[in-house]
Amino acid sequence: MVSMSQNESSSLKSSSSSLQVFSMMSLSPSLGSSYPWLKELKSEERGLYLIHLLLTCANHVATGSLENANIALEQISELASPDGDTMQRIAAYFSEALADRILKTWPGLHKAINSTRVVDLVSEQALVRRLFFEVFPFLKAAFLLVNQAIIEAMEGEKVVHVIDLNAAEPMQWIALIRGLSARPEGPPHLRITGIHVRKEVLDQMGHRLSEEAEKLDIPFQFNPVVGDLEDLDVERLHVKTGEAVAISSVLRLHSLLAYDDEPLRKKLPLALKNSNGIHLQRALQMSQNTLGELLEKDKVNGCSPSPDSASSSPLSSPVSPKVDTFLTALRGLLPKLVVITEQDSNHNGSTLMERLLESLHSYAALFDCLESTVSRASPERLKLEKMLFGNEIKNIISCEGAERKERHEKLEKWIQRLDSAGFCNVPLSYYGMLQAKTLLQGYNCDGYKMKDENGCVMVCWQDRPMFSVSAWRCRNSL
Amino acid sequence: MAAASSSKPFFGTREENQNQMMQEQSSIATPTSSTAPTTAPQKRKRNHPGTSYPDAEVIALSPKTLMATNRFICEVCNKGFQREQNLQLHRRGHNLPWKLRQKTTKEVKRKVYLCPEPTCVHHDPSKALGDLTGIKKHYSRKHGEKKWKCEKCSKRYAVQSDWKAHSKTCGTREYRCDCGTLFSRRDSFITHRAFCDALAQESARHPTNLSTMGSHHLFGDNHHMSLGLSHVRSQIPPLQDQNQVQPSSNLLRLGSTSGAVKFDHLISPSNHSSLQNMPSSMFFMAEAANQGFHQDHQSHHGHGSYPNKPLHGLMQLPDLQGSTNNSPTSANFFNLGFFSNTSATSSISTSEIGGGQGPALFPSNMGDQVGSGMSSLYTTSMQHENISPHMSATALLQKAAQIGSTTSNNTTSTLLRGLGSSLSGATKSDRPVFSPNFGSNFEGGNGSETLRSHMEDDSNLQGLMNSLAANGNSSIFDGGPSHGQDNNFGGFNGSGLTLESQSSNANFCNVNEAKLHQNLAAGIGGTDKLTLDFLGVGGMVGNISGGFSQREQQGINISSLEPDMKSSAQPNTEHFGRA
Repeated sequence: MVSMSQNESSSLKSSSSSLQVFSMMSLSPSLGSSYPWLKELKSEERGLYLIHLLLTCANHVATGSLENANIALEQISELASPDGDTMQRIAAYFSEALADRILKTWPGLHKAINSTRVVDLVSEQALVRRLFFEVFPFLKAAFLLVNQAIIEAMEGEKVVHVIDLNAAEPMQWIALIRGLSARPEGPPHLRITGIHVRKEVLDQMGHRLSEEAEKLDIPFQFNPVVGDLEDLDVERLHVKTGEAVAISSVLRLHSLLAYDDEPLRKKLPLALKNSNGIHLQRALQMSQNTLGELLEKDKVNGCSPSPDSASSSPLSSPVSPKVDTFLTALRGLLPKLVVITEQDSNHNGSTLMERLLESLHSYAALFDCLESTVSRASPERLKLEKMLFGNEIKNIISCEGAERKERHEKLEKWIQRLDSAGFCNVPLSYYGMLQAKTLLQGYNCDGYKMKDENGCVMVCWQDRPMFSVSAWRCRNSL
Repeated sequence: MAAASSSKPFFGTREENQNQMMQEQSSIATPTSSTAPTTAPQKRKRNHPGTSYPDAEVIALSPKTLMATNRFICEVCNKGFQREQNLQLHRRGHNLPWKLRQKTTKEVKRKVYLCPEPTCVHHDPSKALGDLTGIKKHYSRKHGEKKWKCEKCSKRYAVQSDWKAHSKTCGTREYRCDCGTLFSRRDSFITHRAFCDALAQESARHPTNLSTMGSHHLFGDNHHMSLGLSHVRSQIPPLQDQNQVQPSSNLLRLGSTSGAVKFDHLISPSNHSSLQNMPSSMFFMAEAANQGFHQDHQSHHGHGSYPNKPLHGLMQLPDLQGSTNNSPTSANFFNLGFFSNTSATSSISTSEIGGGQGPALFPSNMGDQVGSGMSSLYTTSMQHENISPHMSATALLQKAAQIGSTTSNNTTSTLLRGLGSSLSGATKSDRPVFSPNFGSNFEGGNGSETLRSHMEDDSNLQGLMNSLAANGNSSIFDGGPSHGQDNNFGGFNGSGLTLESQSSNANFCNVNEAKLHQNLAAGIGGTDKLTLDFLGVGGMVGNISGGFSQREQQGINISSLEPDMKSSAQPNTEHFGRA
């Protein structure tokens, strides 16, 4: 049992676990039926109290204690509001997610409550995506970096084949087409392969791109591949010999991690009976402790684990067969360049508490971005918060297994994966970074920053990295 | 000769190949001009890096050889030359024997060159480059140091000729994008423009912002409707409550101040040109606000709904500006983050209509919303926020974490960690239960018996936690000003019982801490540390509890501390004495 405290001490340095302690502190009064004092809290106090309540609530949800979770949720509902200050908004979405999770203990209730929910329409998705693209500079900066990397890698190439693993945004490729058409040696033959589940999205994209290429008189072909990335047949990409291939993935690879849960669960001695994952979590936590001991021993021997590996459980980054297979398949195409854009957060912890703490931080940053750039009443902002961030939060907090798609991971994890798949890092172009920096400065907002980390770029809000862009090429020796 | 010219299309042609061939083969001198190609159009064709010549001789040179600049040294004057041919010509000046190579009539064995960098694609013989200069430049550009720096724009080059070419044009031409960015190179400018234009066009094509939003606002989900209104409500109450006499001026003020706030976000201080636009926008604001106010008086429902309009105005200010961006402000505007689009003007009007018509279309709905949205929560909280500046969520989280860490580091750290790690334990109350880990953490320590017996009871722990907070407060009271203190302290003072238990509790904590520090061999002065650090912790707790009503605060403390502390007081004091 001493080991337990040691294990905790290794992670206690991170702010996350300090937050856990914060949740232990006694801030709440007795549990009455009404909370008149709650309404008298000032913004800051209310914020702190909301954090406290969210953590308390998450503890109860994690242990499956519906009754106590309910009490916490009731208090949160008094304070949270999707149109209040930042913390009120965040709390509203997190409490919704926590409630959704605990409600899954009663699958009947959960299903009934969601029975009439409309599946997100394509148009709605497109709208939210566009809003995200327009309101934040993150995607724009990423697109600039990706395109510049592609243009530079394809210098002198006559036949260029770009594969977009998440073909939702034609803008990026319109810009690329224009960039390629302007290059000194003349435009190449360009083929763009777009992969997406919805045919209409691809049709729209193909139309836009062909139109643009026609205008600029570039030999162009769009190759739509309708389907899920998860079961993609590489043959359908029609990569031909002699063409120079560039692959771009924007905020897409992390969902491939979702499939990796399944074998892990089966291996565990405790079968997961209810969907809330209580047993699983306990099991994980138990094994975590023993692994934590090992880590602790390592530390004594002078080989200290990275702060990240200490705070996330060692089980959260096991071999990920699905994503590894996929990356290896990509490697098989011998691309000249692979550019990966990902959320730079650690939202793939195995326990609810880990994910809650990490996602609280990163979504706080995103909500803060909005707070300082968009008016509180803006319907665009509300839409973004609800339909994009709210849904992501719900997925991170409430879902498990294959359903949990938003498995954002830090760049260092991706570096490991890409490395073992036979890729090596290519520093992003100086000129691309310059452009991205100019773009960020153009926002007239101090918060947006950019960090160059060994040739990879982190687009940050204040000091927190939000999105990472990294470029890769095939390593000669595996 | 025929053979030589036939090889032409494969090689990048030009002088380099010439030289290179000569360099490799010694034969009779021929003027280089004799190789002038007859197949001019073909000549321009670039050598594909990937094109492999199966019969070609693959040459791998070391980086040193590749990078050597003047490999051919004149033995007389030590002058170095890059090419042997040049050295030969130089030797002629010293009256030394000299010899220029000449093309043979024999077919030249084709040579391809490998990049010495093992990780490079051109390290693979199948992707070898067809000429020596090419591989030299490739190696410098891709794997070499960029030692040539343009003094004007700081761009660096690895190959001197690249640098020279750039230096000739750098600064001579400037390209300015509508967004205000300056470029010295045309290709950079075009790349950038492509992006800017694409964005603007796409936005025009799918104008998500205002027109769509307007309609969503109107016919879309009610959710937004009510959100918008509650926001309105939250802004209106201060006016109604406090300044009934001169509401219109107040409204004006409200409009203009919020407008100013917006501008702060949108306009960088350096962009003076855009400031000129402000008065007109402000005017718009004021007028819209006025309108809202007038209508406000005309209908009862108007309270909530019509002020929607000025708020719309607020939100759309950026676009309003965009629509007037004829020339001076356009640069700034584009910079605002690609919000601008060509249809800005039209979309504004659409949503203006949207904003205005909404209430008219759904009057009853509006009335409901207003009624329910009028909760006192909004009124009070917004009023508070007018006074105190808003703290970002990130800052709040940091603060919370800080509080958490100061607490855990400076009080009984292991204890709290133990608590932290038992998150998944079963829980009965709203407080997490620390039972199993907690108890065992203290096993072996003195007085663990007492502790454990306490810990078994849930409410006891609560008491302990409360006592931490209480201690924090009391230490603050000595030196710290905080408006919440009086309430809180009064609560403790109010009854002798609490006071007593508080003091015993303090011992309790101190003892534990001292002991734990001993166990952990951490040489920290326990008591000093405690007082110091509680200042930070207690400050926060004090603030929080200041918001609670006194009655409730008292309630917990008493109920939770009272029953057990009396019994525990004895051993604890003993420990304390020792510590």
